[in-house]
Amino acid sequence: MLGLVVLFPLAYSIKLSFQSYSPIIPNHTGQWVGMDNYQRILHDGDFHHSLIVTAIFVVVAVSLETVLGVVVGIAIDRLRRMRRFATSALLLPMILTPLVVGLMFNFALNAQFGYLTWVFNTLHVAGGDGVLNGSVGALVALIFIDVWEWFPFVALMVVAGLQTIPKEPLEAASIDGASTRQVYWHITLPLLRPILGIAILFRATEAIREFDKVFVLTGGGPGSATAVNDLYQYRVSFLNWDLSYGAALGLVTFAAVLALSFLMYRSLRRKETAR
Amino acid sequence: MTRRNRKTSILAAVVAAALSVTMAGCSSGSGDSGSSETGADGWSRAYEGTQLNVIGEATANTQILEKQLPDFEKKTGITVNLEQAPYDSLVQKAVLDFTTHKGNYDVLSIPYEYLGAFAEKKYIAPENDFLKGDAKGAGDDFSADDIIPALWEASSKWKDNWYGMPSNSAVMMMFYRKDLFDNADEKVAFKKKYGYDLAPAKTWDQYRDIAEFFNRPKGAEAGGAKLKDALHGVTVAGKRHVATVLEWMNYSWTKGGDLFTDGKPAINSQANVDALTYEKELTKFAPKGFTSATWDETTADLQQGLAAQAITWGDTAGAMEDKSASKVVGKMGYADIPVEKEGDKPEAHLGSWTYSINADSKNEEAGRLFMAWALSTTTQKALAEQGGLPALTSTFTDASLVSSLPYWKQELQSLKEAKSRPRIPQWSGISDAMALALSRALSGQTSPQSALDDAQSKIEDLMSGSLPVTYQ
Repeated sequence: MLGLVVLFPLAYSIKLSFQSYSPIIPNHTGQWVGMDNYQRILHDGDFHHSLIVTAIFVVVAVSLETVLGVVVGIAIDRLRRMRRFATSALLLPMILTPLVVGLMFNFALNAQFGYLTWVFNTLHVAGGDGVLNGSVGALVALIFIDVWEWFPFVALMVVAGLQTIPKEPLEAASIDGASTRQVYWHITLPLLRPILGIAILFRATEAIREFDKVFVLTGGGPGSATAVNDLYQYRVSFLNWDLSYGAALGLVTFAAVLALSFLMYRSLRRKETAR
Repeated sequence: MTRRNRKTSILAAVVAAALSVTMAGCSSGSGDSGSSETGADGWSRAYEGTQLNVIGEATANTQILEKQLPDFEKKTGITVNLEQAPYDSLVQKAVLDFTTHKGNYDVLSIPYEYLGAFAEKKYIAPENDFLKGDAKGAGDDFSADDIIPALWEASSKWKDNWYGMPSNSAVMMMFYRKDLFDNADEKVAFKKKYGYDLAPAKTWDQYRDIAEFFNRPKGAEAGGAKLKDALHGVTVAGKRHVATVLEWMNYSWTKGGDLFTDGKPAINSQANVDALTYEKELTKFAPKGFTSATWDETTADLQQGLAAQAITWGDTAGAMEDKSASKVVGKMGYADIPVEKEGDKPEAHLGSWTYSINADSKNEEAGRLFMAWALSTTTQKALAEQGGLPALTSTFTDASLVSSLPYWKQELQSLKEAKSRPRIPQWSGISDAMALALSRALSGQTSPQSALDDAQSKIEDLMSGSLPVTYQ
């Protein structure tokens, strides 16, 4: 049953990607076109551009989330009384719907009325036009919002991870005279590696599929500055109504994410066994 | 109307007579005609008890229509479930319903640029007999002759068939701050600076000058009062969005450009490049953040008194005069879109929508009645009084509305000058390519020429196999 639910759409997409079908355009009635859609991917400048934008978004956002998540996670682990409160506070951005997050920041970053725009203008950062209206500013803003929304996830994974690591190596190191920093750097972090790996894997595969915030905040603009892959595919499938090409793009993305997860998972396993 | 009514009542009487034989005593109708199937107001009750599913764009017109629904139910006994959705989402829901042939929606209000696509795929049904025939079952307050002819044709006629009736008569026009234009000191200052009198812009050069003139920082004076917020010369939609495309097409058309000439894409024509260069120049006087503005943001700018003029949608005029939301009630003037040289023919972008009946609907008779009711003088007048836009000549010439609504005369005037965008099936792809090109040029990522060159090659690809365009 589960197989059917998962496999049917996949099989349908594969079939669609070798056809030319549009529910709107008269001469695209589902005729077989072989590899045409895949060949088109190779020459599609907009798609290539969207891959670059997505790559920048994923690498920068996930790196920042990891660093911030580890720092905050360790800080929370050291807390005694406030720990529960801090953990629940961290959950807040995560439980908001991505669409709501987008709308919230759309309001805050409005070039004329937004309170964050007012803060930026008072501090003389990000120019006078509102951050979302510059090519760089818009992408930076989207990355920061993603970090705000998702570093707590990494932090919570770290908090959970710290509970599970054995205390003996830490105690041994302290007795041998290692400083707190040395303990964290040389012992805690390596012990956290598997759980961090999984957190990064989760975040990366999620970030590759970023859509909601971009859709609400910039629509991929200004120009094509924030046109991430998923938004581009949405445009192909549901604005241009080229469902076949959309299916081909989707499958290529799916294959890429699958390969990436596999590689990351394998490197994780290898390190674990090496230890 | 009399001839049709007589026909209707004769027919209704015959039907009633026939029915009374088979189901005597079951009828619940009333009325002068003595017919059990037609009410006193002429509306057929033959489909009483039918549940009709209708979807419309989430705009003022649909919201107001929803409030009128009890009237339809009272007249026909048909209940309506009216769903509202924003533009993109409505089109997606419609296409999903069409392709699965579920017939979930009986009547769909669709943007007219999708008329060709839906008609060619036979998703919607031609309704010539009802629309251009006897309008069987419609009441006394409906008359097809009253629908503004050009608007009706643009929104609902594809090739030789009629598919529905206009559900929205939005048309673009120029909004300007009448109070500032009428100010004596401003007039003197303007004449001194530009050498001619300050008046609503007739040409694009004047429009630019006025934009520059009224572009003032916070704290400066305008119309004799100190500005609490900066005043901008214009407001412009520049987001990567269909709103940007539709606004730009006004600049293009009036400067001699178009998307197609002789049926072939002419996106990077000199006139189009000039139009985009001009618009880019205008944005110097636009509020911050115009590159993320659609019609929503430009409407808000105007309502808040942050811009002196704009090329925008006539169906937002109601919002300008809405005391609960607008700071410019009574201060706004409405006029034709400027042209290149004085005396040129004015052109205004039409944004009409049309009601249409799903080819898979099982309630098409009730659906027809719904369309006729929505276009009846009673409903249309109620629409107008509450800030919506009708599609009837009689409502636009209604004396009480003309005197109470400052934008009323201009709406009809602009509708007469209206021009349609290509209603071909490939429109959404064209619009998407144009939105990207315009947004890139307006935000300074590339030059107008190279942005339009890029769009030209994309649109040529998109249209391959369908050129030349012989009907739009």
